[in-house]
Amino acid sequence: MVQQSKPQVTSLLSNDVLGRLERLRINATRLFTSKSRGEHLAGRGGTSVEFSDYRDYTPGDDVRFVDWNIFARLHRPYLKLYEEEEEIHVAVIIDTSSSMMFENKFELARQLGAAFGVMGLLGGERVSVFAFGGRERGSMRLPPATGRASMLKLFAFIENLQGGGSVQIEEGLYDFLRRQSGRGVVAILSDFLTSADLRRPFNLLFSAGLEIFGVQILGPQEIDPQVTGDTRLVDSESRHTLDVSSGAYLTSLYQEYRAAYESYLKENCQKRCGHFLSVSPKDSLEYILFSLFRHRGWVK
Amino acid sequence: MNFYLPGNVWFLFLLVPLILFYFLKLRRPELKIPSLVLWRRVMNDTRVNSPFQRFRKNILLLIQALLLLLLILGAMQPYWRGESAKVKRIPVLIDCSASMGALSGQGGVSCLEIAKKRVREIVAGLLPDQEVCIVSFGRTARKRTGFTNDKRLLLDALQQIEVEEVQSEIEDALRMVQALGQSAPFDEVLLTSDGNFPPRVSFELPFKLNFERVPQSGSNFGITALHASRSSSGYWDVFVIVEGSQKAQNTATLELIRDAEVIGREHLTLTSGQARQMLFQVPAKEAAFLTVKLALDGFDSLQSDNIAFLSLPTMRPLSCYVAGSMVSCSRALQGMEGIDIRLDSVPAAAGTGYDLVVTDRVQDLSIEGKTCLYTGIVPPDLQKLVSVERGGSEVVDWSGSSPLLRHVEWSDVAMLDQPRTAEGVSEIDLENLGYEVLVHGNRGPLLLEKKEGEKISFYLLFHCDRSTLPYRVGFPVLMHNLVQIALHQAGLAEARAAQTGVLPPLKLLPQQSYSVSGPNSTRHEKTDDRGVLAGLPATSVGEYVVSLAGAEQMRIGASLLSSSETFLSYTEEIHFNELSVRTAPVSVRTDQSLWRYFALLAFCLLLLEWWFFHKPLRSWK
Repeated sequence: MVQQSKPQVTSLLSNDVLGRLERLRINATRLFTSKSRGEHLAGRGGTSVEFSDYRDYTPGDDVRFVDWNIFARLHRPYLKLYEEEEEIHVAVIIDTSSSMMFENKFELARQLGAAFGVMGLLGGERVSVFAFGGRERGSMRLPPATGRASMLKLFAFIENLQGGGSVQIEEGLYDFLRRQSGRGVVAILSDFLTSADLRRPFNLLFSAGLEIFGVQILGPQEIDPQVTGDTRLVDSESRHTLDVSSGAYLTSLYQEYRAAYESYLKENCQKRCGHFLSVSPKDSLEYILFSLFRHRGWVK
Repeated sequence: MNFYLPGNVWFLFLLVPLILFYFLKLRRPELKIPSLVLWRRVMNDTRVNSPFQRFRKNILLLIQALLLLLLILGAMQPYWRGESAKVKRIPVLIDCSASMGALSGQGGVSCLEIAKKRVREIVAGLLPDQEVCIVSFGRTARKRTGFTNDKRLLLDALQQIEVEEVQSEIEDALRMVQALGQSAPFDEVLLTSDGNFPPRVSFELPFKLNFERVPQSGSNFGITALHASRSSSGYWDVFVIVEGSQKAQNTATLELIRDAEVIGREHLTLTSGQARQMLFQVPAKEAAFLTVKLALDGFDSLQSDNIAFLSLPTMRPLSCYVAGSMVSCSRALQGMEGIDIRLDSVPAAAGTGYDLVVTDRVQDLSIEGKTCLYTGIVPPDLQKLVSVERGGSEVVDWSGSSPLLRHVEWSDVAMLDQPRTAEGVSEIDLENLGYEVLVHGNRGPLLLEKKEGEKISFYLLFHCDRSTLPYRVGFPVLMHNLVQIALHQAGLAEARAAQTGVLPPLKLLPQQSYSVSGPNSTRHEKTDDRGVLAGLPATSVGEYVVSLAGAEQMRIGASLLSSSETFLSYTEEIHFNELSVRTAPVSVRTDQSLWRYFALLAFCLLLLEWWFFHKPLRSWK
C-alpha cells in the first residue's frame, strides 16, 4: 500500500517548517498592556492560572487571591501571584517594492512574514500583515486576526502579494502607523535601502508600543558586489542611473558603507528596545528561523 | 625636445571627434540593481576624497585621449637635440686599426665593439632626413657605405667592420671624407677611435671634427721591432724589442722559432716604459724563416703584437762588376771584405745581374745591377739636358744627408770635366725625369741619383779618374757607402720583418699568376714584366704563402711591429695645420629620435585599457 504524502498547507512554508514553528513563540521583551488576554506571558503579576510568586497581603488586595492554606498554617495572609497572560499584536510589514525583487529577496520576505504570522497566530496573538511597495496598487493590509483558523487567510494574503513599486520604507512605515492600533511587536521585512533618515519612523513605532524586529534582507550581490569595467548602474525603483568605473578601491568602500549602514540600523533598533538582523536569501529558511532567531533570542 | 614634423600637431583636432564619439557612442553596460542608495554614498565619498574622481568617471575617455596624444606625439617625430645643431648628413669614421682590437679586460669587449655599439645607437636614432656614411680606417680608409639612412644597410656595413692588424693612419680617412664632401656637403664628421694615431696630422680641416674617444683598454705588451743584421762571423744577429703600455707589469716568455724548431728562449720581466731588447744569433749558411712568439703569463689586451716573422736570406759575398778602366774604384773595393769583384766579366745569362756595377763605359749600361755607379756617363735620357765639356768645374754644394755622401767632403775636389746643363734647364726638369741632384757644380749637376724599382743608379757626370776625387780622404768612404747601399739593396746587410698593411714587393717570375694565401684569405695576382708582385694587402698578422700552380714559391710573414699600437697610447688632441681638435669629454650626442618610446607607451596604455576594461560583466540577476 502506497502511503500518500501529506499535501502542503502553503507554498510559502513546508509542513515540516510549519510543524516546528508551532512550538516557537515570539519572545517580546517589552511589557504590553492589552485589554485582551492572550497566551503571551508578561513579566508582571497577572491573572492567569500559571503561578508566579507570593507576597505579603496589604489592605485593599483582592482577598480572592489569598492563599488560605498558608494562612491556616502560618496565621498570616499571603497573596498568590500569577503570570499575566496578555495578548500582543504581532504586525508583519513586508516590503514589496522593486528593490525586493532581486535574488529571491521577496520570496524570503514572504516566507519570514508567514513564519512570524504563524508564530503569532499559534501563540494566540492578534496578527496583522501590512505590505507596501506599489504606488498604483497602494498598500495592502491583512486586518488583525487571531487563532489557528486565521492561518489559511494569512497564507492566502501573503501568497497573493505582488512585488514591484517604488514606495520607500519610511513611507510604508508612516502608512502602517496611520492604520495601526494596539501594542505588540512589529516585524519589518525589508532591505531598508533608503536615503531617508529612519530614526523618526522608528521613534514613532516605539511610541506606538511596538517592539521592532527588523530583518534586513540583502542579496548576495548586494553584500559582495562584482561590478567590472565602466558600468551604468540603474536603480530598480527610481530608474536613476549612476556611472561607475569599478576598482578594488570602490568595492572595498562599498563594503565599508554597507557595514556602516547595517550598524546604523542595528543601533537605532536597539536604542528603541528593538532587534535587528541582516540575512541573505542564500541562507536557508530553517537556518534563519530555527538557528539564527533562536540564538538571538527572537523566538523561544 | 624638438619635433621633426611639428605640423602633425594638427592631428590634435582628432580629440574633438574622439570626445564627441565617446559621449555619443559610449554605451556603458547597464546594470540594474535594487537601489543606488549605497552606491551614491560611495561615489560621493570617492569624489570628495580624490580630485581625480571626475576623471575616473570617464577614465575610458581619458585613456583614449592619452593614447591619441601619444600617437600624435610619435607622429610629430620628437627627438632630443644633440650637442650640435641638427645634423642632416654626417660621415662616421671608425678606427679599426690593431689597437682597436685591444680588450678592456679578461673576457671584456674590444674597443672596436664599443665603437660599433656607439655608432649603432646613432644609426638607430636616425631621423628620416638624416644620412650617415660609414668609413673605416686602419692604415688606409675604406668607405663602407655612401650617405644613406637605410638602417639595415648601415648596420650590415657596421657588422662587417673588423679589426685590421695594421697601424693607424687617420690622414687617409680624412682625405677620403674630404673627397666625399665634394659630392655630398656636410658640416660635421664624427671620429670614433681609441686615439692611437699621431697627434699631428698634415691636413687642412674643412669641416668640424667631433672626436669621440672610446675608453682606454687594459695593459698590453708586444713585440715592437724585429730585424737582423749581418755579422762578420757568418751569423745573423737577430734583434727583438718588447715593449708595453703604461701602468703595466708582467712576466713573459719569448721564443725564437726556426722552421718549427725553437732555437732561442728568453724569460722576461716586463715593466712599462722599459723596452727589453733581446739578441739572438742565427747561422747564416742558408735562408731561414723565423717566428718570434711572446707568451705573457698575465692578461694581455692585444694578441696581434705577440707574434712576428722574419725572413733571412742566405748570406753570400756581394757580387760586384767593375770596368777594367776603373782602376781607382777597383782598388778601393778590393780592400773591403765580403766582396766578389769581377773585372770586365759580363754575366753569361740575362737576368743574373750583379749586386754592384761600377763602370765608365756606355755599353755597360745594359749590365743588370741592383746598385750602379756610372762615372763620366751622361744618362741617355739626359743627354739633351746635360752635356759634359772640357774646362773644369767646381763643387758648389752637395747633399750630406744622402747615404752615398755620408761623411764625404767635396769642397776641395777638382775635375777636368765640366758638366753643364742646357740653356733654360733647371733642377726641376731633372727631377721630373726621376733624377735627384746630389752634388751641384757651378755649371751643372755633378752627381745624380735615380731610383728605378729596386735599382739605384748613381751617375757621376765627370770621370773620377780625371779628378782629384780618388786622392781625397772621402773617396774610400764614398766607396764604402756605395758598398753598404749595395748590400742593403741586395738584402745582404740586414733583414727587417715586414709590417702589416702592404707586403713588400716580391721578386718572382714575370707574367705568372701566383696565389697568395694569407691568414684570412687567398688572392690570385699576376706578376709584371719584371716579375715583381707588388701592392699585396696584408691586413692580418701571419704568414703569407706565395704559390705557383700549387707549389710553394715563397713564404713571407707580416707583423704588426708598431710601438704606438703596442703602447695603446692615445692622443687627447689632434693638431691639424691650423687648428686642434680635442677629444669629447663625454660621448658626442647626436639627435635622438624618441617616437618609438611614445609608440611603446601607447601600446602599453592600450594593453592597460584592455586589461582593465574588457573583462566580462557579471549579472546581478
